[in-house]
Amino acid sequence: MTWTRDSVRTELLKVFRRHAEDGADVTEGSRLVADLGIDSLGVMEVIADLEDKFHLHIPDEALREVDTIRDVATAVESRLQNDGRLEG
Amino acid sequence: MSLRTVVQAIEDAAASTKTGYRFVDETNDAEPFFTHAGVERQSARFGGALQALGAKKGDRVALILPDNTDFVFAFLGAIRAGIVPVPIYPPTGLGKLAGYLENTLHIVDKSGAKLCLTSTEIKRMLGSVQAKAPRLEKVVAVETLRAAREELRPVKVDLDDVAFLQFTSGSTSRPKGVVLTHGNLAANVRAIMEQGLAARDGVDSGVSWLPLYHDMGLIGFVIAPLYHRNTVTFLPPLLFLKRPVRWLETLTRHRGSISFGPNFAYALCVKRIRESEMEGLDLSSWRIAGCGAEPIRAENLRAFADKFRSVGFSDRAFVSCYGMAESTLAIAFSRAGAGVKTDVVLGESLWSKGLAEAAPPPAVTPRPAIPPATPSASAAPSVPAVDEGKGERGAVVGGRDPNNTTEGPPERPSTIEIVQCGPAFDGHEVRAFAVDDDDSAHPLGDRQVGELRLRGPSVMRGYFDDDELTRLAFPGGWLRTGDLGYLADGNVHICGRSKEVIIVNGRNYYPQDLEWEAGTVPGVRRGNVIAFGTMKPHNDRERVVLVFETAVVDPAEHIRLKGEVRKAVQQSVGLTVDDVVAVASGVLPKTSSGKLQRAKTREAYENGILLGRSSAREVDRLEVLKELAKSQIGYFRHALVGSRDEE
Repeated sequence: MTWTRDSVRTELLKVFRRHAEDGADVTEGSRLVADLGIDSLGVMEVIADLEDKFHLHIPDEALREVDTIRDVATAVESRLQNDGRLEG
Repeated sequence: MSLRTVVQAIEDAAASTKTGYRFVDETNDAEPFFTHAGVERQSARFGGALQALGAKKGDRVALILPDNTDFVFAFLGAIRAGIVPVPIYPPTGLGKLAGYLENTLHIVDKSGAKLCLTSTEIKRMLGSVQAKAPRLEKVVAVETLRAAREELRPVKVDLDDVAFLQFTSGSTSRPKGVVLTHGNLAANVRAIMEQGLAARDGVDSGVSWLPLYHDMGLIGFVIAPLYHRNTVTFLPPLLFLKRPVRWLETLTRHRGSISFGPNFAYALCVKRIRESEMEGLDLSSWRIAGCGAEPIRAENLRAFADKFRSVGFSDRAFVSCYGMAESTLAIAFSRAGAGVKTDVVLGESLWSKGLAEAAPPPAVTPRPAIPPATPSASAAPSVPAVDEGKGERGAVVGGRDPNNTTEGPPERPSTIEIVQCGPAFDGHEVRAFAVDDDDSAHPLGDRQVGELRLRGPSVMRGYFDDDELTRLAFPGGWLRTGDLGYLADGNVHICGRSKEVIIVNGRNYYPQDLEWEAGTVPGVRRGNVIAFGTMKPHNDRERVVLVFETAVVDPAEHIRLKGEVRKAVQQSVGLTVDDVVAVASGVLPKTSSGKLQRAKTREAYENGILLGRSSAREVDRLEVLKELAKSQIGYFRHALVGSRDEE
């Protein structure tokens, strides 16, 4: 399956909405911890979900600079691109 | 058999070509297996390579090796050459390198390490460390040693020689280097394997995802199995956090019989492993499910047993463990094969008299811990565990009347359920003393709560290059644990950390009990509640403050929530909280291992910065990073992305 930047972001927002605490406003700029209330163990859970969804492996090092959902999108997109599964 | 050095254990195990270490890799299905004969050869190469780099017996070598395979062989290789390894956990990649480097520099400098062995990637980050640690001669990339062929030149190593330095966190200090000799290791391994677990040589098989820079992973699963030629399968720590089912799958696949985890690991399995993932699991070979390294909550373990009983897990596999790095690893284990045992005591006696008086057989049972009004709370244990400190406990306040809203002690007696961690090992002694008994002159009696102190062959010689800290750690020759607890029929029970007790009108309250109760109120983020006592602002008496995180933002709702929290604590513990504070998610400071930091929260509260929404963590960023580096087990809990600590 191939993805577009839009469909990646839509999917990410969906996943993060599922993991964010009640009442959190989930946008691309949301910070995982401060805005969404996802703790570090929760982040690992999100990563596992994303790996399953996008069929890719996100190594630990790739997550080192991640703060917001947008950062996660970038990490996912660059891997999809390397696999030739990102359009546009 | 007489005690052996680790070196001797490696050489003896080499006769075995069937048992050894297996390393699971996340990205592919390969599981390289090294027989004990292979372990002997691989470690000899690393030892030889370190000698070729100029390291001699007694020299310290810092190891910062993210890969389990590299770590194990470099660690054992150094030990065989008489070189003293100093494990340091790898950078967590939080984008906050400065704090990590500062901490690493402290350990490297304090240990006087001459060499640092690390990966090429990490080596690039360590430039400043090398520049600032005058005794550090070289930083070497491990990749260059993997193919080394230097012969290990034999070195005489005795039981009295230092085996390695275990840097450990202090709640208020920089990491301290626990000096462990081969004699310490041999004594503790014997206690763990022979007395604690009745391990069967060459037969029992271990599975571990625990980080190897932490005593439970390193001593429990790298060193101890060498002495008894047990096969161990290692998983990367982060793989477990990402996909907890991989732990249980590995136990299934390799018929694992011994595996350990902190309390939170069992809770994580309950929370995260789906029914569909349980198909194919078979945990019937798992005879020792050890739980230690953080406070134990009996209900978390029961929930695990309930969930996995259908795939062969036995309740009786649980072993409750108490230990600390200063005692090599383990201090006491509950009896293998007996499952979780708890002691139900009267809250009133515990708080007012420091006496753990057994509760009369319950007309009101201590379970369920949670009043029926909130049954979902007990079904969803909080992760991570909220308790700070080394003590293992499971305290549950129960038996109360939810309709009792009056001030003063509740009508029915509150009871506390405390996990029993078994007796001290043979040749070791644990006793409770008054905290101010500086000579350890008057051991307290059965069921009297005091500071637990320890002596015996597993106890460290002292802190490396720190006579003052060492002196303070050994009042009258006993090792202070910093844990409050009691002995009942010789069995160790932990109540909490001595520094955190809240004293009101001469009664001692443990913050965990208050926090647990507050966490049952809907709207309060369970596991994100901190209680503490403070003498501020009037300095007249200790005031009880309880801070909780909530997603709720409406001020009117805040007021209602605070009222609920106050009521919950009042009803269960009979204590009036002076100040209840609601804060946003992510504001409460935590250690690297996800434990709430009570002292730090109190400080922020006293300085009036807790409510300055930009958060305690902002202020503490550097402090928190220091914490992170201090706590070795913290690595895997908060290794990633926007860790709560770092926000």
